[in-house]
Amino acid sequence: MPDFIKYAEPNEIPPNGRKPIIVDELPALLVRIGEDYYAFEDTCTHDGQAMTDGAITDHEITCPRHGARFDVRTGKPLCMPATEPIAVYEVEVREDGIYVKPSA
Amino acid sequence: MTGSVIASTIPLPSTFDDAAFEAFLAARDEPEWVRDARREAFEVFREKSAEPLDPEEWKRVDLRTFRPENYAVRAAGAEDAAATFGTLLADQAEFAGQVAHLDGRCTASRMNPELEKQGVLFGDLATLVREHREVLEPHLLTRAVRPETDRFSAWHAAFWTGGTVLYVPRNVTLEKPLHSLIALANSGAADLSHTLIILEENAQATLLEETASATVDAAGLHVGAVELLVGRGANLRYVQLQNWNEKVHHFAHQCGRVEASGTLQWTVGGLGSRLAHIHQDVHLDGRGASAEVNGVTFAVDRQLISYYTKQSHNAPDTRSDLLYKEVLRDRSRVVWRGMIRVEKAAQQTDGYQRSDALLMSSAARADSIPGLEIEADDVRCTHGATAGRVDEEQIFYCMCRGLSKYEAMHMIVEGFFQRVFDRIPVEVVRETLSQAVERKLGFGD
Repeated sequence: MPDFIKYAEPNEIPPNGRKPIIVDELPALLVRIGEDYYAFEDTCTHDGQAMTDGAITDHEITCPRHGARFDVRTGKPLCMPATEPIAVYEVEVREDGIYVKPSA
Repeated sequence: MTGSVIASTIPLPSTFDDAAFEAFLAARDEPEWVRDARREAFEVFREKSAEPLDPEEWKRVDLRTFRPENYAVRAAGAEDAAATFGTLLADQAEFAGQVAHLDGRCTASRMNPELEKQGVLFGDLATLVREHREVLEPHLLTRAVRPETDRFSAWHAAFWTGGTVLYVPRNVTLEKPLHSLIALANSGAADLSHTLIILEENAQATLLEETASATVDAAGLHVGAVELLVGRGANLRYVQLQNWNEKVHHFAHQCGRVEASGTLQWTVGGLGSRLAHIHQDVHLDGRGASAEVNGVTFAVDRQLISYYTKQSHNAPDTRSDLLYKEVLRDRSRVVWRGMIRVEKAAQQTDGYQRSDALLMSSAARADSIPGLEIEADDVRCTHGATAGRVDEEQIFYCMCRGLSKYEAMHMIVEGFFQRVFDRIPVEVVRETLSQAVERKLGFGD
């Protein structure tokens, strides 16, 4: 099983901020909502392109091109045109930074 | 490991910046005209690297994980890795000549002496630019692939490492095919090889080219270019089988120009690489010129293989026919964006393009986007694209007849590719591709 990898310093990402990262050789996004962090695949399953700058409200990211929405906690698609989920990764907040676990 | 910042424009990668370029030039003993052309191209590379790539061509090609600074042109004098590894084509036929490159450097070059007497040139570009300026200078990166097209063409034009040249004089016919191998062995090696084929009036030749990796896990980079210049009444058959391991990034600008009554039969095989993007142009420049383009692609795992093709009809009575077939497994992706462009003067043109994708898993994805731009008013241009899953009923039918699931899959995939295999004019290529497809199908799926 792959181990957690450090992706950000403790206060590197401001509240409601985000950081593009690479997990499993795939683009992903590490976001901070309040004190919680979430990491998920940064590719819309509808058109296969980046959602890096998509708006995030109430734990939902909206794809900037066609408006597909995903739950950043579960990866579940919430509206058309997306029908497939995005991958989500486990995140651990440790004293020395924010860690993400690549999927097995 | 930390995350990486994503930007739409990139600074020059540290292994291809000003200092790297000067060191590269200093290590090569090249004539002044080549150095001047490289310097000009490097300036274009710098400019283009500061500009975003054309979204029409690149938006489906995800470069966010591509790290060009992880790859470098090997320094002169570096030890050559053992180059004994099997390739798809090398021993499959009797060739009139063979050229091989490993990690961007020529390791072997031979040609039947009879051909030399007829004035044929076949060998390493890095050597031939020193000896045959009169033949190469008018054609090298001037007529077909242009450095100013985008950052990859400029990158290649500034840093090309070598490559295969074939020049066939007027009225000379090469009966036997020639073979060219582009190989990568060391991890982190960059190959920027250039293939230049010049066929003069009524010449005929066949070149089979393949790319291969010595090991399954050496990550490499290929930023290549192919230029095919087919003279009046000449006939060129060119095959390129891209068979890197799944760690290689492959970018290529490939362009063919066909003069009046000339014929180009061009076959592209896309089997390997982590990410491949091929910009392929065919220009029909003279009356009666024709081109047939065949594509066989088999993507697995997380491979992304992308084609951006253009068939340009620049003269009347020209014919182009493009057929691409793609099979996708696992989470792979294939992108094909095709365009037929017909200029006003190109009346009585017949243009055709078609791409068919067969998806063997629900997580695979094929994007096929055909297009037409027609300025003339008396032409026939057609295009089509299909994408579909393997029909479960067909598999069930085959299994009812006593075939295993694997055999059924193999039969369906083989049948899917058959139409494009039938068009490939060289038997050894047909057989080789068929075997490669069988290997990629794997067992037990």
